[in-house]
Amino acid sequence: MHGPRFIGVFGVEGWATRSGTKLLAFGESVKIERQRMQLSISAKGKGKSKSGATIASRRKTLDIVVRFTNSRGDEVGRLAQDKAAFISTLLDQKVCAFEGTCFYAPEHIRTNDTIHLQLRCFILSSAFDGRKLRLANDNRITDLFSAAETEDEKALRLRQIALVKIFEEVNLQPNRTNEITEKHKRTGLPQVAEMAEALDNVKEGSRVPGKDATTSNTEDAEDNEGKELEQDQLDALYRKAQAFDWYSPEAEPADTFTLKLRRYQKQALYWLMNKEKDIHSRENESMHPLWEEFMWPTKDENGIDLPSNGHQEKFYVNPYSGDLSLTFPRQEQHCLGGILADEMGLGKTIEMLSLIHSNKSPLAPKNSSTVSGLPKLQRQSNGVEFAPCTTLVVAPMSLLAQWQSESEKASAPGTMKTLVYYGTDKNVNLQMLCSGSNAGSAPNLVITSYGTILSEFNSITSRGGNRGESGGLYSVKFFRIILDEAHHIKNRVSKTAKACYELSSEHRWALTGTPIVNRLEDLFSLVRFLQVEPWSNFSFWRTFITVPFESKDFIRALDVVQTVLEPLVLRRTKDMKQPDGTLLVPLPAKNIIIEEIELSKQEREVYDHILLRAKRTFAANVEAGTIMKSYTTIFAQILRLRQSCCHPTLVRRKEVVADEIEEVAALDASTGFSDDMDLQDLINRFMETEEAEGSGKSANAYGAHVLKQIREEAEQECPICAEERMMDMVVTGCFHATCKKCLLDHIEKNLNKIPKCVTCREPIKERDIFEVIKEELPSNLLPPPPTQSPFSQPTSYSLLPTSTQKDLTSSPSPGPASETQFTLRRLSSRSSAKIETLLSHLRSLRLSYPHTKATIFSQFTSFLDLLSPALTRAKIPHLRFDGAMSQAQRASVLHQFANNKGFMVILISLRAGGVGLNLTQARWVFMMDPWWSFAVEAQAIDRVHRMGQDEEVTVWRFVVKDSVEERMVGKIQARKRFIAGSLGMVSQTEEERREQKIEDIRDLLS
Amino acid sequence: MAALPKRIIKETERLVADPVPGINATPHEDNLRYFDVTIHGPASSPYEEGIFRLELFLPEDYPMSPPKIRFLTKIYHPNIDKLGRICLDVLKTNWSPALQIRTILLSIQALLGAPNPEDPLANDVAQRWKEDEKAAIETAREWTRTHATV
Repeated sequence: MHGPRFIGVFGVEGWATRSGTKLLAFGESVKIERQRMQLSISAKGKGKSKSGATIASRRKTLDIVVRFTNSRGDEVGRLAQDKAAFISTLLDQKVCAFEGTCFYAPEHIRTNDTIHLQLRCFILSSAFDGRKLRLANDNRITDLFSAAETEDEKALRLRQIALVKIFEEVNLQPNRTNEITEKHKRTGLPQVAEMAEALDNVKEGSRVPGKDATTSNTEDAEDNEGKELEQDQLDALYRKAQAFDWYSPEAEPADTFTLKLRRYQKQALYWLMNKEKDIHSRENESMHPLWEEFMWPTKDENGIDLPSNGHQEKFYVNPYSGDLSLTFPRQEQHCLGGILADEMGLGKTIEMLSLIHSNKSPLAPKNSSTVSGLPKLQRQSNGVEFAPCTTLVVAPMSLLAQWQSESEKASAPGTMKTLVYYGTDKNVNLQMLCSGSNAGSAPNLVITSYGTILSEFNSITSRGGNRGESGGLYSVKFFRIILDEAHHIKNRVSKTAKACYELSSEHRWALTGTPIVNRLEDLFSLVRFLQVEPWSNFSFWRTFITVPFESKDFIRALDVVQTVLEPLVLRRTKDMKQPDGTLLVPLPAKNIIIEEIELSKQEREVYDHILLRAKRTFAANVEAGTIMKSYTTIFAQILRLRQSCCHPTLVRRKEVVADEIEEVAALDASTGFSDDMDLQDLINRFMETEEAEGSGKSANAYGAHVLKQIREEAEQECPICAEERMMDMVVTGCFHATCKKCLLDHIEKNLNKIPKCVTCREPIKERDIFEVIKEELPSNLLPPPPTQSPFSQPTSYSLLPTSTQKDLTSSPSPGPASETQFTLRRLSSRSSAKIETLLSHLRSLRLSYPHTKATIFSQFTSFLDLLSPALTRAKIPHLRFDGAMSQAQRASVLHQFANNKGFMVILISLRAGGVGLNLTQARWVFMMDPWWSFAVEAQAIDRVHRMGQDEEVTVWRFVVKDSVEERMVGKIQARKRFIAGSLGMVSQTEEERREQKIEDIRDLLS
Repeated sequence: MAALPKRIIKETERLVADPVPGINATPHEDNLRYFDVTIHGPASSPYEEGIFRLELFLPEDYPMSPPKIRFLTKIYHPNIDKLGRICLDVLKTNWSPALQIRTILLSIQALLGAPNPEDPLANDVAQRWKEDEKAAIETAREWTRTHATV
């Protein structure tokens, strides 16, 4: 294009900036030019030719002044603000030029008089270049809200708004637009753009004070980052998105798929296969949905033909990015995939595997003889090879092994070649392995982790973006990519998300039970990955979803989201009923028992001590009005309280000691130190008794004759409660047995006196009470194999602290069926109330159900560290699964757990194992400590209580009586459920949320 | 009323199934913690031939606390007062939760056979017992005949 081209005229008001006579006459031509206020008069007239970019970059806030001069070059006035705002941008960025004509001006002009002008607008040829470096499809990834906008980004945004406005002013209508785009545009793009600006200003103002809060490192820090969806808004979205028809068609999987699909899974397969079909014909070029096509006007405002300019009749505008183009913007990609959002446990993995079997690339050769006939692929030139047989699965590390084993289980032998592409197993050249020419031996499934993707992405970007040479994930265009637990990429600015966007494939799928975790932007990231135009353009998304939502126009925003979701998402929930009224997936019952734990005296002392201090901190801060500032500190103390509910020594673990000291010093410099000593002392006392056990001497000294007595006692009923089978039998120093609780009650009753043995009146020393640990192992299980995790230090039984164990081990009992072993352990050394209760449960479970398995969840890995030796001591075989383990270790642990035939326990950190894992081999669940929201616990429980579980599941939730835990479960979890289950579209204000937090703390410490 | 602890149920069953000679304890139907007790005076004691009625109540925290026992039948004994209250260490400081109704009643029976005026509850009786044991024993016999025989 040569020279400016006319696009239309519009009227504008101006104000005179000087007085005079005959400054401007009707019909006189007027020059419109930009001038920075700082510039001296000498620069006048050069404004237009000056580099727009430098002016733009230098302009600070509101310099939008546009002046006009008469034909003699004298300045007459400036344009009115409203129009000047966008005209200045268009001039600065060399998008348009304007020719003015005076329409009306008083003969005697005085400063501030109104002058009417008519402007003819021309698009400059420079508008079409200079932006070529940016891909048409590129997103403005930076969140305009969360990060300070750079000058460049601001310039872009101004240009976009200005372009939209000028087209509106000159009333130039596109003659071709995308249907979806058009529909949303009718809601008023310019207004939305203004809304965005207003919002920006508000945000900018509030950003600085908000900073303190966001830097805090508590669990709630996330709250401050953006607008969250209320649960009911989410529910409404999902409800609409899952309008699932029971009578929708089903598809039969290919016969290489060996599992039996349920009806709803066959329906999923039909849907999946349909989504992968390319319904858009590739022949018929379609316009990129973000672009609009315009015809150049052929006549000017007076109906006079304009000089034709070359052969170009059309030009194209992208009102969402502010891009202009003379060439046809082709839509290059269609989304041939979607989001499979079936609720956890419905078998998303199985459904995808059936798809892998049933829909293969037409390019995938049946045998190697057709290889030579493969068509050349477009992208080969930049070093990316098409892999027609290969599906890439990206999953969290903990699920890699599960994908592999499930895919093999689901496939006829030899029909599914899998490759776990991870860690040291990465020494393969995927490009060579998967390319079409190698189709015979190419893996059907490559399984990798988000971490692997990220590291390859990083190394490629650091090497300048050459995809091909590495032979890694980016050198291949896969047939299909599946992101498992796709909410991993919910943050679109995260590197992992970007790395996933860059993967190349024909079909893209995102699997997640929660496509929206708590923000609408979560969904954007998935849409971006799936390349769903126009929504994958953030500017577009922001304009029609984020901005209305944040401006409280919820209905509109959610409506739009729904139109995005509807064609993309398949979602069924577990509680959906089939037409005959039965559940989609009948699951066995699940019993949740809240186990009230009573702390021991020593534990209670530690707890009370910490509680007292937390209360003091809280009260002091309430008084000083600094409660929000010290929120983190108080939160840390509450964390400590919760830890002390699990085990008093947890609060003394290295990782928390440092900040505790700091905190004490800061909070209570005068008394802090002595406080600390108290606590140390209390813990020392606890440790002392525990270590005393290590010597084992005293217990040993009683000699073997005692065994006989204990054995006899064990046969009898408890002398106090008359129970035949004593509950947690204990013996006194004089070796008379009772139930533990009975004896402790008895001692409690005689608090002021020396307690005496109920049987022989011998005074009882509390230190000399022993627990009798009775192991009745079915003889076929003896001797118990040392089945601890191979990754934990193997502990030989001879190292057991109770060396009495050997001496006291009974001779084999007469019955061949079972053998009973006794071990004595000092009661005062009891690890912690929770551990004891757990052990007691596990012992009785093992006795009644010797071939079952149990999962134990705790959010504190340090607590798992303490549980492990306790289980070892109790000779309960156990494994451990936590975030610090390598992929190989995790796989091995899960494998052992699944395949062990006897009683088995797995210790899992809530964080590492709360999602994704399949632990249906277990039927007992112990939740050692409550989480703020029950939903998180429920998710962990669902590891066991999910599809594939065919036994009743029992869950024990350990809650310490009269403690912060009790209040967490009672009040806070209940409140969260209440919020989730009620209320309209009201969102809490910042103020309300803050008050709620303080209220929560008050509750917790009450 | 809270459910009856296993311990009390068992003791009651055993008292019925395997009674102690000379001692009978029957719980009230409407209050199973409340027992009607009879004790036969031990042979070759001033209480021989007498059948003494007592009431026995198991408090809420039994067996952590001892049962409450009182003679209903008038008895002339240095360790039992006018109101029938009994001075016996195992009912007070020497109680042990391992003791039972049965053992306590046996102790009371033994107390009848071996009065202990050195640790009196009924001071006047104890005084008489020390000054003139023969006369005291005679009075005890007399009371037994009048009050404790049917």
